[in-house]
Amino acid sequence: MTVADDAAAPAMAADQGKSLFKRNLENFAENRLALASAVLVLIFVLMAIFAPWIAPHDPNETDLFRRLQPPGWMPGGEWSYLLGCDGLGRDILSRIIYGSRISIFIGTAVILVATTIGIVAGLAAGYLRGWVDIAISRLVDILLGFPYLIFAIGLMAMMGPGLFNIILALAYKEWVIPCRVVRGETLAVRELEYVEAARAIGASRFHIMLREIMPNILSPVIVVSTIRMADVIILEASLSFLGLGVQPPTASWGSMVADGRAFILEAWWVSTFPGLAILLLVLVINVASQGLRDAFDPRFNE
Amino acid sequence: MGNFQRLLITTAVALVLPTASLSASEIRVGFTADALTLDPANHRNRETETIIRNMYDGLLTRDPDMKVVPEIAESWTQTSPTAFEFKIRKGIKFHDGSDLTVEDVKFTLDRLTVEGAMGDGQTSPRKSLLGPVKDIEIVGDDTIRINLNEPWPLLPAMLPFQEFVSKAFVEKVGTTGMATAENGVGPFKLVEWRKGDSIIMERFDDYYGGSPDIAPVGKACVDRAIFKVIPETASRVAALLAGDVDIINGLPPFSIAQVEQNPNTAVMTVNGTRSVFLALNLHGDKFDDIKVRQAVAHALDKQLIIDKILGGNAVSIEGILSPAAFASTPDLPKHEYDAEKAKALLAEAGFPDGIDITIDAEGADKDTVEAIASVLAKSGIRAKVAVGESAQIDAKWDPKNDKNDGDMYFTSWGNGSLDPFDIFVPTHYTMGRGNASGYSNKEVDSLLDQGAIELDPAKRASFYQKAEAIVNADLPYIYLWVPKDIYGVSKRLKGWKPSADSRINLHDACVE
Amino acid sequence: MQLGKLVERLLQLVPVLLGVSTIVFLMMALTPGDPVEIMIGDQPITPAEELTLRQDLGLDKPIGERFVVFLENAVTGDFGMSLFHRRPVFDVIVERLPATIELSLVALIIALVTSIPLGVMAAIKKNTIIDRFATIGSLLGVSLPGFWFGILLLMLFAVQLRLLPVSGRIGFDSEVAPITHFLLVDTLLRGRLDAFWDALSHILLPAITLGLPMTAILTRVTRTSMLEVLRQDYVAFAEAKGLSRRRILFRHALKNALIPTVSVAALETGSLLGGNMIVETVFGWPGLGRLVVESIFVRNYPLVQAAVLFYAVTYVLVNFVADLLYTLLNPRVKL
Repeated sequence: MTVADDAAAPAMAADQGKSLFKRNLENFAENRLALASAVLVLIFVLMAIFAPWIAPHDPNETDLFRRLQPPGWMPGGEWSYLLGCDGLGRDILSRIIYGSRISIFIGTAVILVATTIGIVAGLAAGYLRGWVDIAISRLVDILLGFPYLIFAIGLMAMMGPGLFNIILALAYKEWVIPCRVVRGETLAVRELEYVEAARAIGASRFHIMLREIMPNILSPVIVVSTIRMADVIILEASLSFLGLGVQPPTASWGSMVADGRAFILEAWWVSTFPGLAILLLVLVINVASQGLRDAFDPRFNE
Repeated sequence: MGNFQRLLITTAVALVLPTASLSASEIRVGFTADALTLDPANHRNRETETIIRNMYDGLLTRDPDMKVVPEIAESWTQTSPTAFEFKIRKGIKFHDGSDLTVEDVKFTLDRLTVEGAMGDGQTSPRKSLLGPVKDIEIVGDDTIRINLNEPWPLLPAMLPFQEFVSKAFVEKVGTTGMATAENGVGPFKLVEWRKGDSIIMERFDDYYGGSPDIAPVGKACVDRAIFKVIPETASRVAALLAGDVDIINGLPPFSIAQVEQNPNTAVMTVNGTRSVFLALNLHGDKFDDIKVRQAVAHALDKQLIIDKILGGNAVSIEGILSPAAFASTPDLPKHEYDAEKAKALLAEAGFPDGIDITIDAEGADKDTVEAIASVLAKSGIRAKVAVGESAQIDAKWDPKNDKNDGDMYFTSWGNGSLDPFDIFVPTHYTMGRGNASGYSNKEVDSLLDQGAIELDPAKRASFYQKAEAIVNADLPYIYLWVPKDIYGVSKRLKGWKPSADSRINLHDACVE
Repeated sequence: MQLGKLVERLLQLVPVLLGVSTIVFLMMALTPGDPVEIMIGDQPITPAEELTLRQDLGLDKPIGERFVVFLENAVTGDFGMSLFHRRPVFDVIVERLPATIELSLVALIIALVTSIPLGVMAAIKKNTIIDRFATIGSLLGVSLPGFWFGILLLMLFAVQLRLLPVSGRIGFDSEVAPITHFLLVDTLLRGRLDAFWDALSHILLPAITLGLPMTAILTRVTRTSMLEVLRQDYVAFAEAKGLSRRRILFRHALKNALIPTVSVAALETGSLLGGNMIVETVFGWPGLGRLVVESIFVRNYPLVQAAVLFYAVTYVLVNFVADLLYTLLNPRVKL
């Protein structure tokens, strides 16, 4: 790994255990902007869960006579189709609401998969060292050297489109980030007293990695993962934009922007509103996770 | 005055004065793709051919009505079922000043048809466009004879696809050099090729004039012609509306209104040559029954989709041939839109509750296919659209692939030569290259074989017409439509019409 | 000592390149889709000629053999022929490189020129309007999907307002004979100021779109780093000694504050090259990114392989330069 590697919170946090976690959460709550953003994230999640009850229309119902209908406040629009209709006459607002499911689901799934793999790989590399570390580090270097888009396109071309495949295609490269963080943390922690103690009483390596080290490095990993969530959502949208995303008629915000880009001169609303949705969701995730980072950063705990 | 003041004034002047000579007339085409190469013998790409056809001429060409007329050749005759003779015009010059002789003609044709003639043991990928060509003979000082291995009446129809090069030039720069350098006899010569961005050409003043059958004959009208590469549709339309370009191809139907409303632009259409259809997996478990196929045909309201999605810019077809193709049948029986009949047929076939199918489609066709799916749903045919990458779907529906688990595939096949041989055979002959449905009918095969070698046009036509009647009833494909090619033009453009074979020949185009 | 480390780092290139080549080769091999079928499409061809074409393109040999041949040739700099252009892959890529590099560099410059002053000001005047503006701006910058933002910018400035061009690198009246193939440099070298402005107006929108996330990140990093430096003891010490605040800022604080900025900028440059693809597609920029995306879709294997190798080499080299810069700026850290 490179010298400029930026490992997050130092090992000291590990010594103080739970009370620190609680204190960090309190810090977070004091940051009103971050708290508000976290609430907004929650609202997005609720919107995704309760989509069938919130959406005014069936997102997949096409009506060729409503093709490219303008938003409600423009001439030719209807208030019941508030944000207008797309190229097949489907209600854009409903598709945006349902589309949040895709963005949030894929974002969460990718982060979960990537973080899990990353923790396992990072722990192994950082604690076991030796050839395990070398092999994993080389693999990380190789994957990092690949421009993500080529990798994703190639993988999608190989595996075919589909929700599951998108998650894999994005997680394939995403895991290296938590892996680096975990490895750095593990390296810092492994020489500490309580780890020595565990070794002394004969605990197995797995036990040490799982029970002693992992709980104490989770904080920075969580922070990094929430920060990455926003990026993953944009990555998924980019893939959908290139035509490699979810299958029609499922609405992904990225594919909605792509669909509308051909007629952006005639019907700007088809591309603009889904793009705004991406922007908004990603923004509040970023603000919230930034607040999380600030709260958990011991340098601000003085 | 001091140096600094001098610099200031020079700068000011440079910024203020226009640097292009205002009197030069220039026509610009906003085009969907860049040329792959400048070598007329080393590609198989329509966009490349469209661009370089302005710099290279062929032995024969097509006039705006798609009739084959002589270009470099002055006249031609068929001396035997397997031999054609072409008399070469005199006074034609290459862009480097040298004269075109029969040697160059023979050299070009040899380069295209002889194995390994491209150097390094490579063969021209355009060889098969010249079919069963055996060899080329020079007869006298102005005639060449093309000998065929077997009778092939198609030769004149296929010659417009080949462009002619200078023997001396190819020997000088080699095949590698031909990719980026140009020396043709066409109305324009190359100025600069900005890869991926544009191709800039200027008028060749010693142009022999072009085909006498296509007026006006003479030098090109404009001083400069530029093909600007703009793959993004919205950007291309924007460039036209802004006046940055004078012609754009690939104008989508939903932008027609905007282009027409703009005071400086207009829309031009031409009947296309590409037949669009739905391939049905005849080896699957649903479409092996003709009743199900008929049900789909009756469940599809083609006119609605043509009107709403294509803006009315397509011609419905009931067979594989477009109306302009040789031997097309004008009044093939229609499968009228009738949802009730479709449901009844499905019930008869054992699907009283309808069927669930998947339609494979490429990204560009997504909108159309989703519209089709929504219409089919009204007759109990619940279709899911699976958008994928074209390379992948092609491989899946390749007739050699016996693991195809798809149901339906929205696709098309071009017919630039307007001859049934190029489209009927690949799509309907047993194991034909484009036979995505996996159709195999001995009677159709036999009719197509006979049509391939029959010299008498009337007899030839009857074979294809019989074959079309069979497939119209058999429905191995659901024949959809032939879309028009839609172009946007600026109103200052004169003397240019779009061509059904997608050519954009700027020889006679003028801007005012 | 440094030389040894240098060699060691360069040697690390080898397994990375090998790994990258293997992965991309495998991916292409396992991906369905046949470049010959794609090339021919629905044009007529006989089975015999299709076979000839396949042989000419080298596609008839088994995968293992093709891979070995590729590696052998790659070492000597021969990356084979592009299946579609029928020209050496090396030539095709090199022709498109300057456009991509120029775009990335201009994006980088815009990012640095914007983020450093903004970040520094935001730190100095913490919690004022400038700080709020910088924070909101940088959050927005990383949240904007590039493809969407790029299209909006294009439609607004190029189509609606007609202030900037729609696509391409330079207009047709501004031709200059190339020297470096970087248009901004060449037009100046040739003394054509009008052509310079023309090239600049063409590169502006794509560079802004490409550089926006980086600007946002760098602003944030600079601000955080500057804040940290300002709190350091030596700053208070210098103030106590009576040095003017300005002097402290510019001689001591800034230099140290910029270390993370520079190192992050160097790291992110690698991803700039990757982010090119979407921006080049949206703005019709004739660079390598767009070429690679098109090549993947038509299965132009040799070109994709060579391009991926190029990206990998660039990434590793950029990382190395980043580390080098870091050690130069921060003497306490060793390579």
